[in-house]
Amino acid sequence: MIDMQGISKIFRTDVVETHALRRFSLKVEPGEFVAITGHSGSGKTTFLNVAGLLEEFDSGRYHLDGQDVSRLTDNQRSRIRNEKIGFIFQGFNLIPDLNIYDNVDAPLHYRRMPGAERHRRISASLERVGLTARMKHIPAQLSGGQQQRAAIARAISGEPRVILADEPTGNLDTTMSNQIMDLLQAINAGGTTILMVTHNPELAQRAHRQVHIVDGQIDQIHEFNPLRAASAALGASAS
Amino acid sequence: MLVHDLKLAFRSLKRNPILSALMIGAIAVGIAASMIAVTLYHARAGHPIPWKANTLYAVTMDLRDDDPDLGFSEHPEYPPFQLAYPDAKAAYQSDIPIRSVMMYRSGRVVAPENRNVKPFGATVRVTTADFFQVFDVPFLHGNGWSRADDDSPAAVVVLSKFMNDKLFGGVNSVGREVTLTGKQFRVVGVIDTWMPQPKYYDLNASSGFDVPEDFFMPFGWMQALKLGPNGNVNCVSKRARIESFDAFITQDCVWLQYWAEFRNAADRDRYQVFIDNYVSDQKRHGRFPRALNNRIVNVQTWLDMWDVVGDDSRMFMVLGLVFLVVCVLNTLGLMLAKFLSAAPISGLRRALGASRVDIVRQHVVEVVVVGVLGGFAGLLLTLAGLAGLKVLLFSGMLIGSDNPDRAAMMQAMVHMDVPIIALGIALSLLTGLLAGLYPAWRIGRLAPATFLKTQ
Repeated sequence: MIDMQGISKIFRTDVVETHALRRFSLKVEPGEFVAITGHSGSGKTTFLNVAGLLEEFDSGRYHLDGQDVSRLTDNQRSRIRNEKIGFIFQGFNLIPDLNIYDNVDAPLHYRRMPGAERHRRISASLERVGLTARMKHIPAQLSGGQQQRAAIARAISGEPRVILADEPTGNLDTTMSNQIMDLLQAINAGGTTILMVTHNPELAQRAHRQVHIVDGQIDQIHEFNPLRAASAALGASAS
Repeated sequence: MLVHDLKLAFRSLKRNPILSALMIGAIAVGIAASMIAVTLYHARAGHPIPWKANTLYAVTMDLRDDDPDLGFSEHPEYPPFQLAYPDAKAAYQSDIPIRSVMMYRSGRVVAPENRNVKPFGATVRVTTADFFQVFDVPFLHGNGWSRADDDSPAAVVVLSKFMNDKLFGGVNSVGREVTLTGKQFRVVGVIDTWMPQPKYYDLNASSGFDVPEDFFMPFGWMQALKLGPNGNVNCVSKRARIESFDAFITQDCVWLQYWAEFRNAADRDRYQVFIDNYVSDQKRHGRFPRALNNRIVNVQTWLDMWDVVGDDSRMFMVLGLVFLVVCVLNTLGLMLAKFLSAAPISGLRRALGASRVDIVRQHVVEVVVVGVLGGFAGLLLTLAGLAGLKVLLFSGMLIGSDNPDRAAMMQAMVHMDVPIIALGIALSLLTGLLAGLYPAWRIGRLAPATFLKTQ
């Protein structure tokens, strides 16, 4: 699903260069649930941004769902983000003045999908995360857990091939975190690949694999479900 | 997508109501200032008879003494704008123009038929017969008079609509009698509403803006009644002596307006030669000491020579447009601040699949909405401003006058017609786009990941 080989990403200012990713290589199989761990500044989020085509990289090769995405135009990258990737953020990133229904509608709208089809998908997504009754609420009227579920509904409404979650439980208490993890695991069980950045080792252990990053490189890989991870691990390498 | 973008634009405006109001207000004030200036300029700069732009000409001859101080405007190179009677009479002899008019403004006392109405003063245009055709004057009843009536002269008059309303209650008064300073005249025509602005055929009054006269009578009455001019008289020769009316009309004093209408440019050129030959001939009699400087000019050139628009109108318009530019720059800064404050949401939309074009278009639509709202508010402000200016600048024109045409003329000076309103709408859209295109483009260029963490 995701095949990165030798990816480097450097952030430059007038006075300093920061190597966020150093010859980073990782292969993630379709349907896999991979937890990305590491200290602050280790490069986790940069990896997620590059994987989600939100950030360009300086060197290396990246295939997403079999397609080389190294030299795509901005429009092509936008289309792939829209059709193949779902994003979940730590801070939920819901649009504050749109209700939950319209928030979930946003990615579908940019796909120029017919209204009836959009409505069907939004309703199904909200039902799956248990927010049908709250669809007319604006984000500020919901709890943190409900907001994150709304964000998950938005991520799955486009039926993406992969979901990139950046500390999705970072702002939630333990009970809420477990509920969100249950939801993500259920989505993954349906075949959607999930890459999740987390600081929480317990949550990381609920993934098939944990990839630990230090200074922009893979430091360790733990496999918690050898049956699923076996083939994926073959493609992973620490440089 | 457009409906969606419009919804987003209004949501965005509601999100920051104070900032939105400031942007709309800045555009509104800029539009109002510039539109007020443009309206005033437009009222002064309009062509009063465009369909005769190339056939109707004012005739001037440079009769001045050879004295460098004897100028008649800021442009001493221009000849006097009026003619002396002997020269007008000579010009009138030519059959090159299809029509010619010599005329001046005078005044008479009207004694109404109704004994309960007190006599009152009225303005009179003493003119040759072609006046009505040369200036395309519309008639409500009857007609003008013939050239023969000028010579006899016939005791006939044409009334303005206002005077017909005042004396005869608006009924068809053709054939009725009217008494002007003790002399009875028969009404042969009543003019319909007619108010050329500027009053180009005689620009001597009120910076060129005035209502037409109350009465029009044959030119022959000038000598028959010894009817002196109520307008501008300039004796341009030191030899001029005004000892009596009969002497006055023979002197080198200019006081008659003179117009000629031609079939084509060739006839106009022939007429120029005719006038130049006449002046050359007069030089032999000691008149016209200066070099030939006789100008036969079309209406637009005539208005320019009189400087009808005026430097103050031009300056006001330039200041209005400069003020608009300042407002555009202010709005640009406000829009940039507003768009950047909402950049995390744009970053999020990019992450969800919006292309750069989607983001730029969404913001351009918002910019257009701000421009339209600002333009609408600006047009309302313009109307309010023009109403205020009407009171401040022109209300003095109504003092002592019961002529409703004067109020209509005042209204015309501050009137926003359809082209001006269209210009206002176009200007507001342009203003919004100028102020918003850069901020919209800048937001579209931001990398989507830049603001996601801060959203």
